[in-house]
Amino acid sequence: MSRLPALVSLLAVAGVLAALPFLLSSYNISLAAQVGIFFIAVLGLNILTGYTGQISIGHGAFMAIGGYTTAVLSRDHDTNLVVTMLAAFAICFVFGVLVGLPALRLSGVYLALVTFALAISVPQLPLKWSSFLGGRDGVQASRTVSHLWLYAVAWSAAAILFVLAWLILRGRVGRAFRAVRDSEIAAVASGIELPVYKTLAFGISAAYAGVAGSLFVLATNGFAAPDEFAVVLSLELLIGAAVAGLGSLWGILAGAAFVGLLPAVSSSVPVIGSDHGRDVVFGAAVVLVMLLLPGGFAGLLARLRQLARA
Amino acid sequence: MAVNRRKIGVVLCALAVTAVVAGTAAASHTGTPGVSKNQIVIGGTFPLSGPASLYKTIPAAEQAYYAYVNAKGGVNHRKIVDKVLDDQYDPSQTVPQTQKLVEQDHVFAVVGSLGTAPIFSTWQYLNKLKIPQVLVATGDAYWGNCVHHACNGSTKPWTMGWQPTYPAEAKVYAKYILANKAGAKIGVLYQNDAYGKNYLGGLRTGLGAHKGQIVDAESYNVGDSAQVIAAHLIKMETAGANTLVVFATPLPTIQALAGRTAIGWSPLTLVNNVSANRLFMLSAGQNGASLNGVVSTVYTASSTTQANLPGIKLGKAIIHKYAPALDQSYAEGDGNIVYGLAVAWTFVDALKHAGKNPTRASLMHALRNLNETHNPFVYPGMQVKTSKKRTFPMEQLRLIKWAGGGTGDWHGFGKIFNGLH
Amino acid sequence: MATAESSPRPSFPGRGSALGGISPVSVLLVAVAAALLVGCLRSETFAQLTVEGLALGAVYGSLALALVLVYRATRIVNFAQGELAMATTYIAWQLIQWGLSYWEAFFATLGIAFVLGTLLEVVLIRPVLHRSAIAAVIVTVGLFILIDGAVTWIWGGSFKFMPSPFGTKIYHVGGVAIARLYLGMLAVVLVSVVLVWALFRFTKIGLGMRAAALRPAEAALVGIRVDRMLAVGWGLAAVLGAVAGLMAEPSQFLLEPTLMQPILVYAFAAAVLGGLESPAGAVVGGLAIGVSLSLIVQYVPAISSELQLPFAFAVLIVVLLIKPSGLFGRREVRRV
Repeated sequence: MSRLPALVSLLAVAGVLAALPFLLSSYNISLAAQVGIFFIAVLGLNILTGYTGQISIGHGAFMAIGGYTTAVLSRDHDTNLVVTMLAAFAICFVFGVLVGLPALRLSGVYLALVTFALAISVPQLPLKWSSFLGGRDGVQASRTVSHLWLYAVAWSAAAILFVLAWLILRGRVGRAFRAVRDSEIAAVASGIELPVYKTLAFGISAAYAGVAGSLFVLATNGFAAPDEFAVVLSLELLIGAAVAGLGSLWGILAGAAFVGLLPAVSSSVPVIGSDHGRDVVFGAAVVLVMLLLPGGFAGLLARLRQLARA
Repeated sequence: MAVNRRKIGVVLCALAVTAVVAGTAAASHTGTPGVSKNQIVIGGTFPLSGPASLYKTIPAAEQAYYAYVNAKGGVNHRKIVDKVLDDQYDPSQTVPQTQKLVEQDHVFAVVGSLGTAPIFSTWQYLNKLKIPQVLVATGDAYWGNCVHHACNGSTKPWTMGWQPTYPAEAKVYAKYILANKAGAKIGVLYQNDAYGKNYLGGLRTGLGAHKGQIVDAESYNVGDSAQVIAAHLIKMETAGANTLVVFATPLPTIQALAGRTAIGWSPLTLVNNVSANRLFMLSAGQNGASLNGVVSTVYTASSTTQANLPGIKLGKAIIHKYAPALDQSYAEGDGNIVYGLAVAWTFVDALKHAGKNPTRASLMHALRNLNETHNPFVYPGMQVKTSKKRTFPMEQLRLIKWAGGGTGDWHGFGKIFNGLH
Repeated sequence: MATAESSPRPSFPGRGSALGGISPVSVLLVAVAAALLVGCLRSETFAQLTVEGLALGAVYGSLALALVLVYRATRIVNFAQGELAMATTYIAWQLIQWGLSYWEAFFATLGIAFVLGTLLEVVLIRPVLHRSAIAAVIVTVGLFILIDGAVTWIWGGSFKFMPSPFGTKIYHVGGVAIARLYLGMLAVVLVSVVLVWALFRFTKIGLGMRAAALRPAEAALVGIRVDRMLAVGWGLAAVLGAVAGLMAEPSQFLLEPTLMQPILVYAFAAAVLGGLESPAGAVVGGLAIGVSLSLIVQYVPAISSELQLPFAFAVLIVVLLIKPSGLFGRREVRRV
């Protein structure tokens, strides 16, 4: 993504996105909005995992924080919903940095374990502080939004955050990120302050997840509850980032579509049928993708390009 | 390279647009959604899996009843199609599933959905769109109290319950305790959400001046392990309680019943009726619970102790023909099956009174003017009635007590309480 | 991918983790055991909770040991270990439905688990492991979802009843109600762990596995089929997971798909607490976490049941920050 995709590609995507609301039924617009929400989250996670090589199986926790921020602000102060999204961005950035600090001392398997435990623990917290955070009954925002609103805001935010990511990654910060991923020893040797960049990456990816979380809650009628942010959500984000592969807009779109749409689509798979068939199809698809497409969708595109050139 | 990227981009674009246009579900509707010349489509969300999945026989029984009615020609020549979706008792799944029923399946009404929190998460949406959300499988008092009075900002005239309310039920238990165990020290185990708190509030109201007799009220969270439940029981025992009231969903109830015996505590025990299904009690017994003397309430007929009632015989035939997988459960006394049959009976009754070409408004009107004195699946002597003043369809309960140990059953005692709401 | 990682050196079972001199950890453990004993003698509730905590802790320890075996063999954490354990428990249920007695089903399930574990490693993990560890972890994440869905699809999502292998008898020892179930859980897990230890210590295969884990290149030179050893490691891990699942189920009274999910978190905490490369540490860590959770939820009101999982998470973080190699591991640090 540090190389801006061809202008044509960008315009094509923008064109399709603009046209979709006129072509889709209301229900399908809500599905398209879901893809937009996952696009934002996967984009953020990609920055962390793909660019600085720090694994996180806990970004659902940041989505939870962002989602609850929106719900609580709306419930208590009837805050403008877009303003709550900005608040979620800021608050999650701070939490991301806070998580990134101890993460400095961990890597690989240990970081995966800690972030996994984070994903499981954070949704328990509203159960403890149920007077403020609603317990299992959840927090209801004071307003609900239409599918069209959600679609428009989700994809607009996605576009803005995509440009922001591009700006970050093509500059000095991006080079530092890639240096950290490739060899920490070499990075330090060339004067890069590891702690700063590693925590920065955590902060940014958490902030993106926070915005996605806000939209996620708005997509559920403005209702934030612990069960919405169960560990499966974090697993899905990681899968989306893995399917996306590294460094391609199309990859992230593919990853977001995979995670956002496949569960809904596979529930109508005839043989397996029910909603639980969807987990089987989703899980199997993930395993197959990892086995067959190691570089994710981006890797697939790169290979196609090579073939096209040959 | 730029050329190739452009090519890929354009191709993908074209594919996307084609797929989108091809996949557009454009349903143009004239007339009432869900009602066509020979079909009425309804739907509901139920816990087919997850922590409350012991309730999944309810929608299965309802579908069996509709199949029975359809086999006789349906209602006004329309067959009833019931789309049941799984929300895992999780309100954040209830929302998208309900939206699917409304926006993709275009149901006529949302019927029978289960769960207090799930209904709360969707009632604003459905009432705004004026879609009936009726005969919901939860006894929260809101479903009747908010028809004429605003709750959370607006009235909810399109929402309606069916079973006796939780606070009413809790008041019956309060009366029983005061009458049979004066000076009882009461420990309450309740679910930490609107469902559990509704019961607890009712118990306190029912105890009135004696509400101080509740020495310990412990809340648990859905998903808590058996050990956590046991820890709550230990705390109650330590606080001196000699009476235990359990306001929980089936699994924690089973764990509480087995747990209290395992820690060597034998208080007078009362359980709420939605978790008092005979099958759940048998399960608790198999796990070591001592069951004799446990008290609850009932409002549907029993397929075991009242097997000779015409309704129970009818139910047996219906289940055998249209849901044979439930045969054994029915024979063993799964009260949820009878409940499902009873609710489906009420829906069909209302539909018959909603006119030859029913609309959502005419359905609601019929539901708000029920007068069922002979619903075959309801406890003998009880009625299902609604009117402008009476927004709760069932306002009667009878106390039951367990006898016979690990292979025993519930037996009714005392009078039928009326006017409960 | 070079990282500034503290990689603990593996410590072998059999030699004990801290022999040759008294380590501070051993002293700590003895002190804790003594404190628990005193507590049990003074309070019935304390004794009850300690027994319950040890029994549950044994289950956590068994799953933690499975995680450690996998980690030692293939250097990754299998996020699907808990779900695999749950699936094998369902298989046992099915065997009982088909007429086997409980113990027949138990041992048959252990065999099936072994086969499943080795298959998993050979078919799904090995091809990906060469490429990158993250990819292998994601495969296990996909398996988590796949197995969960498959179990729900095959057996339905509602609860199943399994007869308790130890019955529902309660022993009353001086006012303390001790369920025979808890004693049984402890016994079965400890026997399984000892058998695995004996396998490692006294058999040729065990020696081969230890060699393959520690020095794969040299082991291959000596003629050890390293690939096969890794598969056997996964198979044994699946067996230990099956034991954990089969012992966890009766403690919850009913079998349902989310049975092992919280246990996985506690097992992670236990494995890290004991040291990801230390089998003994995993078991001790499991017992420690089990007892701590039971006692803390009762006696520290601020940490109520909602905070059990966050508590385990806190333990995980604290251990990783202070002593990343765990209680029983030894440090080897590359500083950057």
